[in-house]
Amino acid sequence: MKTENQAFYLKDLCHFYGSTKVLDIDQLAIQQGVITGITGPNGSGKSTLLKLLAFTIQPTRGSIFYKGYQEYPFSQTIRSKITLLTQKPYLLKRTVFENVAYGLKIRKDTEKLETRVKNALFSVGLDYDKFAGRMWHELSGGETQRVAMAARLILKPEVLLLDEPVASVDATSAKLIRQASLHAKNEWNATLVIASHDLQWLYSISSRHLSMSKGRLFPTGIENIITGPFEKDTDTNHIKKMEDGQVIHLPSPSGKTRSAVIRKKRIFIEHERQQSTAGLNQLSGRITSMHLEKNSLLIMTAVRVSDMTFVLGLSPDKITKLALYPGKKVILKFYKKDVEWI
Amino acid sequence: MDFIVAGFLKAIELLISGDTSTWTAVFATIKVSSCSILLSIGAGLPCGFLLGYFNFRGKKILRTIVDTMLALPTVFIGLAVYAIISRQGPLGQFNLLFTLTGIAIGQTILALPIITAITASTIENIDQDLKLTLAALGAGKRNMIMTCLWEVRFSILAAIVTAYGRVLTEVGISMMVGGNIKYHTRTITTAIALETNKGLFANGIALGLILILIAFIVNLSLSFLRKQ
Repeated sequence: MKTENQAFYLKDLCHFYGSTKVLDIDQLAIQQGVITGITGPNGSGKSTLLKLLAFTIQPTRGSIFYKGYQEYPFSQTIRSKITLLTQKPYLLKRTVFENVAYGLKIRKDTEKLETRVKNALFSVGLDYDKFAGRMWHELSGGETQRVAMAARLILKPEVLLLDEPVASVDATSAKLIRQASLHAKNEWNATLVIASHDLQWLYSISSRHLSMSKGRLFPTGIENIITGPFEKDTDTNHIKKMEDGQVIHLPSPSGKTRSAVIRKKRIFIEHERQQSTAGLNQLSGRITSMHLEKNSLLIMTAVRVSDMTFVLGLSPDKITKLALYPGKKVILKFYKKDVEWI
Repeated sequence: MDFIVAGFLKAIELLISGDTSTWTAVFATIKVSSCSILLSIGAGLPCGFLLGYFNFRGKKILRTIVDTMLALPTVFIGLAVYAIISRQGPLGQFNLLFTLTGIAIGQTILALPIITAITASTIENIDQDLKLTLAALGAGKRNMIMTCLWEVRFSILAAIVTAYGRVLTEVGISMMVGGNIKYHTRTITTAIALETNKGLFANGIALGLILILIAFIVNLSLSFLRKQ
């Protein structure tokens, strides 16, 4: 299964918690030295996927290949190369120094420990003299997250997995975590997989995007997931009522599907509603953020429609032509037939 | 009310003057309780860890038995130990009846389920994020176990303090197994019971004060350790 420059390759991966299937991935390849961003609603399986990639849990079914070799049972060697920063990082009931140095100590790699701890703390914007002696309970949420990040960076892992790293931190911490992540990639060519709800932050750091829903993966990039409840309108039509009364028309699902997806390339953005609306969804919303995607050079535009956020990729010309900017009211349009059930 | 005050004053006098019967009871108590608590820690911590950390067949039943043993009356333990170490009992040949060793065995049986049950609960309630964090930082099984134990050290200290308090203040085992022999197996609690029965409140209060003092010193030491 050796493939050039491939960090991970997942095949027919399935994971259950009890009788609930939380992850179902046919195949996924993650390249070495690439920052991959994953987004998706709560419960979509992002954290489970990261735990599996960190080899901290074993999949119910399927295979995970790391650098071409199937890892089962998990060796200590492999676990020492990959590290995961969880959504709610746990700090040991010790000083900041002890927390950051823990990983090296258990590896019995304590040469120039103080200097390395100092550098790790510096990389996340924390002053060694001020923080090294602090106890775990003397830190703010952002500082805790950054200390936890430093404890991972000091290990110089081949793979750094970050689960919602900026979910509960201030803008400064988010910026520092971004810098530290990029430092890991540039300094020792680390592979990063980052799950985040913060699309803007994710776009600013990652070069490949995946989206997840109900345990399934959309490797084509961040797509718009429409979650239930849905109501049956006619035999061939379902609807999703939003909080502000707007309605999305969807084709009737075939079989047992629970979510729908509208791919971003199928959504149009305009200022005015159209008169003829047969099979066309027209939703009024407001632009919340715009961010340049590095690879495609498209402007990822997030539009808030009632309780949902839609993302679509627009060319800079289109942005200029429509004079779009965050805060502007727009109409999103997509055809009912383009909605896919998953 | 006057006799209590008088007893209190007499107590201070007895302690300062170094009354032999008082101090031998104090030393017997410290000796026997320290011995039993060390034995309980040695056996209870690993048992509690195994019970809390691993899942195995019959775990629930075992937990129920350990939890039930938390409520064992000291007189019942005293009776059982008495039966086992008395001349007709299975351990009769070791002549443990009416010795401090006999009391220590009984007190170990008293403290063991406390340390085991609290340790097991503490380990069971370890934050799942801790295990995940340790695994993510590359900790092997040994490191994970040692770090988990270190992380819950305060709760385990609390278990030890609770068990020590129970051992220090029990009467049933010391009375039945030790026989309350003056200068030999008389402990603080059995002495208090005896002195009070004799109407010698001063001696009783003096011993009571020392009991409280020992408990205070133990708690203070653990509190110091906690801060370290």
